[in-house]
Amino acid sequence: MKEPVESNAPLKCEGQVTLHLLNKPPSHPRFHSCMAALQAEDHLLLMENAVIALADSSVALPPDTSALVRDCLARGLAEGVRDGVTLVDTRGMVELTDRFQRIISW
Amino acid sequence: MNDTRNILLLVIDAPPYGDWRGREALDMALSLAAFDQPVALMFRGEGVNWLRPGQDGSATDQKTVSRNLGAARMFGLADIYADEDALVRFGIDKTEPGVDAVPANAAFYARFREVIQP
Repeated sequence: MKEPVESNAPLKCEGQVTLHLLNKPPSHPRFHSCMAALQAEDHLLLMENAVIALADSSVALPPDTSALVRDCLARGLAEGVRDGVTLVDTRGMVELTDRFQRIISW
Repeated sequence: MNDTRNILLLVIDAPPYGDWRGREALDMALSLAAFDQPVALMFRGEGVNWLRPGQDGSATDQKTVSRNLGAARMFGLADIYADEDALVRFGIDKTEPGVDAVPANAAFYARFREVIQP
């Protein structure tokens, strides 16, 4: 199936701290749209295929990043996860969604 | 490496677990091999994450795909290749025995009768 082509215009959320829920791998255009939209105070939560970004040496992740532990375990990524990245379970994900005023699901 | 001139190469470039593309390609390869059709597998780009040790599919209520891959030899799959640049990019320095790290370039693909990227 052909991957969707996306606009290069980032989805900015100025003035609101945002939780970004990202489940696309680095090859997907939406992964790069998400990276472009991240602001300094935002939080990035990697889930599903996006967690392979933890092992991808070509990807620079923002300082406030976490990853869903079950998706890391499935892919053999829980050991030696990238420095500064927090692993969260489903409860932790729910707590994150409660903490942020605004959420974008990529 | 076997004589590849009569072999069909299936390329998996999707990471495991997120969708069904890779599994369908593997099923296709195993089915072809079971019917004595000469077939090989190539993991390219993000697809090399299929080869990462320590996977536990049960964490997401799925089967561990690397085990499916382990059945490939029993089905008579000719060869399993991995994109050497992608292995480095994703920090995979050790894979299952019998996986050949190769450059994913035109010269490599030209060795095969047919190349399919499902």
